[in-house]
This record gives sequence, C-alpha cells and structure tokens, in this order.
Amino acid sequence: MKEKKNAIELEDVCIHYSIMNHVSIRKTFLHKKKRKEVFEAVKHVTFSVGEGDILGIIGKNGSGKSTLLKSIAGVFSPNAGRIDLKGHSVSLMSLGVGFKDTLSGRENIVLSGMLLGFSEKEIEERAQDIIDFAEIGEFIDRPVRTYSSGMYSKLAFSITAMLETDIMLVDEVLSVGDEQFRKKSLNKMKELINDRKRTVIIVSHSISTLKELCDQVLWLHDGQVRRIGKTDEVLGEYAAYMAPADRKQDGRRV
Amino acid sequence: MFFTSIAMFFIAPFVAWKIHSRTRRTDIEGKKGIKVLAAYFFILNAATFAVSSYRGVDMRGWNPFTTTVSFRIKYMVCSTVIGVCLARAVCGFLNRGITVAEIRKYAARFFGDMKKYFPYAVRAAKADLKAEVTNSFLDWMWWLIEPFCMMLIYTVMFGVVFDAAEEYFPIFIFIGITMWSFFTRGITGSVEMVRANRGIVTRIYLPKYILLFSKLMVNGFKMLVSFAVIAVMLVVFRVRVTGSVLAMAPILAVLFLITFGIGSILMHYGVYVNDLSYITGILLTMMMYLTGTFYAVAKRIPEPFGAVLEKCNPIAFLIAEMRNVVLYGQSLDWKLLFVWCVLSVLLVGIGVFMIYRNENSYVKVI
Repeated sequence: MKEKKNAIELEDVCIHYSIMNHVSIRKTFLHKKKRKEVFEAVKHVTFSVGEGDILGIIGKNGSGKSTLLKSIAGVFSPNAGRIDLKGHSVSLMSLGVGFKDTLSGRENIVLSGMLLGFSEKEIEERAQDIIDFAEIGEFIDRPVRTYSSGMYSKLAFSITAMLETDIMLVDEVLSVGDEQFRKKSLNKMKELINDRKRTVIIVSHSISTLKELCDQVLWLHDGQVRRIGKTDEVLGEYAAYMAPADRKQDGRRV
Repeated sequence: MFFTSIAMFFIAPFVAWKIHSRTRRTDIEGKKGIKVLAAYFFILNAATFAVSSYRGVDMRGWNPFTTTVSFRIKYMVCSTVIGVCLARAVCGFLNRGITVAEIRKYAARFFGDMKKYFPYAVRAAKADLKAEVTNSFLDWMWWLIEPFCMMLIYTVMFGVVFDAAEEYFPIFIFIGITMWSFFTRGITGSVEMVRANRGIVTRIYLPKYILLFSKLMVNGFKMLVSFAVIAVMLVVFRVRVTGSVLAMAPILAVLFLITFGIGSILMHYGVYVNDLSYITGILLTMMMYLTGTFYAVAKRIPEPFGAVLEKCNPIAFLIAEMRNVVLYGQSLDWKLLFVWCVLSVLLVGIGVFMIYRNENSYVKVI
C-alpha cells in the first residue's frame, strides 16, 4: 500500500500572547514595572494531516482554534515547535481577507490574490468568475467601505474559494450570507474539498457541518489536543461534554 | 609615556566590554567575549579617529608615540564616552544578542521577499493613486495645486515680508517643499502604519516594510509630478541649466533610501510605543526649521553651526545639493553623498532587521 504523504505536520507547537500593555513614554520614564502576563493560547499541539484529507477542528470559544489556524497560515510563527507545510501554498478563509477599505472590490480582488501568492495574470483570468460568484452587482467597483457586512463576507469568501491553493484553512466562514448564498458556498466547499489533492482544515462550531464534510476531527480544549480521531467518535464525545452545560443554563429542560 | 600611548587604544573598549558583561553576562562567555571585545576595539577607535580628524587633527603622519599628553587624555576621554554610550545603547535596545548568522539569514530573506512582494507594492501604490483620483473633486490636479500654493505662500512670506529672498526664490522654495514633504509624509505615515493596516496584517503574512515601501512609492510619484512642475518653472524663469542636472537621480535615490530606513525603524517602535506619533511630530517640526526648506542653511544660520548642520542633517544636505545642481549649475558633492548613501543603507538594514525579528509579535499586540 502506498504510504500517504503528509501535507501538514505540527510538532509540539506552542503559541502564547504576552499581554503587555502598550508602553507609553510617561511610564517608561517613571520606571513603572511592565507587568508581562503571558496567555498560552496553544500548548504543545502535535498532529499531522495527510494530503487530500479533510480535518475538522472543534472546541469551545477561546480554545485556540483561530490562533492555531493563523499560525498554520503563516500570519505569525509559533513561539515553540515546528509547523511544516511541505512547500504547499496555503490560504486562510476567514471573515475578510484583509481589504483596503478605500479601494474598490475589483482592486481588492487583485491585491488579495497577489498576497496569496498568485500572479497578476492568473488573478485577472479568474477575476470575472470571482465577481460572478460574489453576486454583489455594481458594488464591485465601489470602495469596500461602502459594503454591508454581508457583501464583505461574500466577496471574501469568493476570493479565497476561487483562487485555489493546495491547503485551505476555513475559519467559521460557512455561516455567512443569506440562505441562498449559504447553500451556494456549502456546495462550492464540497466541490473544492472533493478535489482529492487539496488538503482542508475546517474550524466550526456546527457539529452537523463537520459531520457532513470531514474525515477526521480534532477537539481542541484550552489550547491542547483533547481528542483526535474519526469524525463520529470525536463529535460524539464533544456533544456529550457540551450537553450538561445546556442543562445548567436552562434549568427547566429535562 | 610609552605605556599610555598603547593604553589609550584599549581603555575605552575595556570599559565598554565591562559594562556589556555586567548587564548581559550570557553574551560574553568564552570566544564570544573576545569577538565582542574586538568589535568594540575597532568601532570605538574608528569613531574616535573620525572625531579627531573632524576637529582638525592632521591624521597623516600621525604617530601615537609623538602625540602630546593632552591629546592622549582627550582621546581616552572621548573614546570612553563613546564606548559607554554605545555599550548602554546596545544592551538597552537588544533583548537578544545578534549573531552574524542571523544577519545573513535576514539579508537573504530581504532580497527574496523584495522580489516576491515588489509587484504587490507597485499594484497597491497604483491602486491608492487611482483611489485618490476618483474620490476627490479636482482629482489629480491637487498634486500640482497644493505644492504650488504652498510655494506661493512661502515666497510671499519669506521673500517679501521677511525680505530673505534668494536667487530664483520660488523654485528654490519649491524644491525644498517637495523634498521635505516626501520625507515628512513618509515618516509620519510610518509610525502608525502597522496599526492602520491591521485588517491585512492580522489575516495574511506579508513583510511589514512592504507597506511602507508601497506608501513611499505613492509619495515618490507625487514628488516626481512636482518635479515636472519645477522643470516648467525652470523654463519660465529662464534658468541656465547645466549637465549637472543629471545628478538629480542619485540625490532622489538617497532621499528615498533614508526615508525608508528611518521609516522602517519608526514603524517597528510605533507598534509598541503609543506616544511615538507625538514625538515624531515635534521632532519633524523642529527639523523642518533646521532643514532650510525656505532659506539657505549655510547662509542664514551663524557659523559654525550652518556648515555643520548642512553636513549632519541629511535632508538639509540633499535639498541644498539639489538646489546647487538644478539652479546654480554646480557639480555634486559626490563624496558626502556617498557617505550618506552608506548611512542610509545601514539604517535600512537596521530597520529591516528589527522588523524581521519582531514581526511575529506585532499581530499579537495590535
């Protein structure tokens, strides 16, 4: 049997934020001690994802999912440990790829694409497809700061969906837009995922979405890997863990 | 006597080394300590030589054994002062020691990243210029009207009211304003640049100095538009233009480099220090008056400060040279321009180094 190659490897990754309050000149002059608190967002995480696999990450808020994803995307490096992407191109699909508000949607498509590593020519070829998918009409030529939040997310989604990178990281973005757009984006996701050469990591709170799309699920709890394994097993344990909280909040439910 | 002529070279490096090892012991173990000592030795003695030659000591035929006692004492004091300042600066600003390997790694990365992100910077600059044009009333004409109006104001105030006119005063002022506003806009923008672009910086990786580079290209384009106006004014005022005008290109290149260098250092500190924009504002205002934007520094400021200022303030130097080359047909002071070119490259190196080292933490702070 051919040994499956890994697309992403994480080894003992630790990421922490030092909650250092901004330095002001006055405080430095008065030699006030800088309290440097360290918040450990991700602690000693190790896992790997094979080529073409689809991994889901689930966990309650604040468990470090977005931080981990950003680190894999290269927005910042981990403080310790190693993340190896084996030379694949990676894109992070989150709410907004980072637009320059004063520029039009069309210009932002090109600029975002260039930051994701595509050449101007490649982007211009796909520009019309991106615009058609986003369905924001004539607003495509108006500055992004005039967009509604729905338009913003639709444009962001279609840019990252159309410019296909080897690894896609999806951060809770499948729940934006109206019903029609949501259906369209879910179908597009499925189409992108079914390309067996593309590796995908999906972060979501929705157990049903993960059950539908993923092969494996990683349960991240307080920055540590609680469980990793087949979708049904992990999601079952996660649901069981979260259930008592439901009952506590609404005491009357049996 | 013999002893002091040898000792005067070694006292300052030793003092600096001692300070360094007391503040940061880990830097000075074993072989590393010797390298640090050697580095201090060379730097401090070179610096003291530079100072003494500047103050008029004839360096040719200089023999340590034939110098007077007072010279030796002055040498030792001067080098020790420089040494103490350097040691404290190095220990204060660097949390971790620098290794040559790190410098080499960042240098290689710099050239790779510049090549990779240059098309992005160009495209972003073009898009910014287009956005400015589409959003405003008189669109691109403001790039001409604004400096022109500033020039009129200064010409009237200083030429007529204060009666401090120079030859071809309007063009004289225009050159000063154009180059100064390139510098000032670059510096002011760089302090808050990372925070202003937090939308992009927190979602995707790009080397942060590319943002500054893109902004400088926008400002550079506007400066070139102003120079086109200057060219027209040269014709109108019938200024005799010589071949030395070609020296415009290297002067502008050094101006760009120095703005990029200082801007990238400020961009790094601007992420952590809130009040930096106030400080830069005050310093820039002060610098504007000391840079001879609307007067000739060498003439107005009393000796010896005038000549010193023109040499030590890089922007003043560049503006004065530009005027010499364009208006008065004089040839360029290549030696000093080369010195400033090297210093600008050094500043760029420091800025890029600090950004590469720390950019991972920016996203977590803003």
